Amino acid sequence: MNAYLITIGTLIVIYAITVYGLNVIVGYAGQISLGHAAFFGIGAYSAALLSTKAGLSFWQALPIVIVLSGLIGMLLGLPSLRLKEDFLAITTIGINFIVEALFLYIPFFGGALGIGGIPRVALFGIKLKGLAFFLLCLSFLAIVMVICWWFTRSWSGVACFALREDESAAASMGISPVRFKLLAFVIGTMMAGLGGALYAHYMRFISATDFSFPMSITFLSMIVLGGMGTLWGPLLGAVLLGILPELFRPLVDYRILFYTTLLLVMIRFQPGGLLGEGSLLRKWLVLKPAGVRV
Amino acid sequence: MTEILLQTRDLSKHFGGLKAVDQVNLEINTGEILGLLGPNGAGKTVCFNLISGVYRPTRGEIQFRGRRIDGLPSHLVARRGIGRTFQIVKPFASLTVLENVLVARGITRYGRFGRLWSPWKARSEVTAGMAMLERVGLADLAHRKAGLLPLGNLRRLEIARALVVGHQLILLDESFSGLRHEEIARLEDLIRRIREEGITVLLIEHNMRVTMELCDRIVVLDHGRKIAQGEPRAIQENEQVIEAYLGRGGGRHAA
Repeated sequence: MNAYLITIGTLIVIYAITVYGLNVIVGYAGQISLGHAAFFGIGAYSAALLSTKAGLSFWQALPIVIVLSGLIGMLLGLPSLRLKEDFLAITTIGINFIVEALFLYIPFFGGALGIGGIPRVALFGIKLKGLAFFLLCLSFLAIVMVICWWFTRSWSGVACFALREDESAAASMGISPVRFKLLAFVIGTMMAGLGGALYAHYMRFISATDFSFPMSITFLSMIVLGGMGTLWGPLLGAVLLGILPELFRPLVDYRILFYTTLLLVMIRFQPGGLLGEGSLLRKWLVLKPAGVRV
Repeated sequence: MTEILLQTRDLSKHFGGLKAVDQVNLEINTGEILGLLGPNGAGKTVCFNLISGVYRPTRGEIQFRGRRIDGLPSHLVARRGIGRTFQIVKPFASLTVLENVLVARGITRYGRFGRLWSPWKARSEVTAGMAMLERVGLADLAHRKAGLLPLGNLRRLEIARALVVGHQLILLDESFSGLRHEEIARLEDLIRRIREEGITVLLIEHNMRVTMELCDRIVVLDHGRKIAQGEPRAIQENEQVIEAYLGRGGGRHAA
């Protein structure tokens, strides 16, 4: 396979892992987050720092990175998730800007220069690059998708669905709104942390602008396009939005314009996304709605 | 033999200067259907929301089976075994009717982290959920999306969910409003059956005829205060009640 395709493929898979995390928060629990790139960044920076400054290997650092991302997610989620809808959206945007600013202005995080010299991931003493690293990312994606699939089939998943549909009705059935929103948020930010760690070790150089607000919009566009709350939608969204800028190079400069237009068009005509319930694509594929088979 | 299931003492909820509920003492006996009656704005729904934990009382206490539940949030009140419906129906619209009931069946699990990870559509759950739908007469609609149901069926669905949660006591908030005659009759039958199964019912109702037929006892609220309580016949003839509903001197015309 040619190197160009593998590069695009690897980035798409890394984004997909991150976007599955966002899908748990937005698609399953119905809590809007416009700051997901912040947690992607927290994963990337902690992985970068642990490998360059503390000298840990990717595998030693990974559990720490994931737990740290989840922990920070919990700390930031606790006050934010008490807010609803627009207010939550604005708060999460704020989180994104603050986290980006911290990366940019604190010398420990490398400031405007970012962090370079991040080592490649090694497995059994072999440095993974090209196809091997792509396959590593793909296996992580598979794990993430299995976790998502399991989540939707479990009681914790259905508690989140109930919250998404109606918070007070869910509470009248013993579901603690704070607890389950937080659970979804922590799972989502952990997945973003994993994506970030892979990103750092793949790019081998990261800077604060990689994790800015437009990246959050891109992530959100991916799940809206693919189908919020579905199992395959986030992957489809990541693939489509990952490939499009490559096919139409001039689009790169107008990315945000394109994404926002796409969001508006999708919400107007296919609010459930390409793979959402009752969508044209799903009807065409004659698939049964995901997760409602008994 | 009467045994008090739920009791409020001095229950008050003030919103700034507005005394939505003011020093209300309620007693609900095990196995009865108690009606909460009153004109619009009398504080009935606020009373419900205090009992079910949506609001925290300004003053007073609520005891359920001898233990205080005032100040507990909704999800903890629900876990004590009090189920409720909503005046404006709140189905989980994108889930099916059966799935709506299954959500309620998770009540024993939501508080325990370790029990959250098994599949929620286990065969035993589905069987129990279907049995509940059978009980309220929605079994043939089990796989329909809840959001597509007409109001009468949504009210039944809410009662089904409330029954799963409230194996001792259910609170019905205007379950009859907006229904057609035949639907009202069927719902009355359902509620009587529920009582016969040993479940205590507290209901808010605007429909006088339904309240008088269905309830064992009635408590009347007006401007947040309890103005009367007793058997339906006594309430019907109570001067203060007639005045609250029809205004001073209205009783002559009503009679």
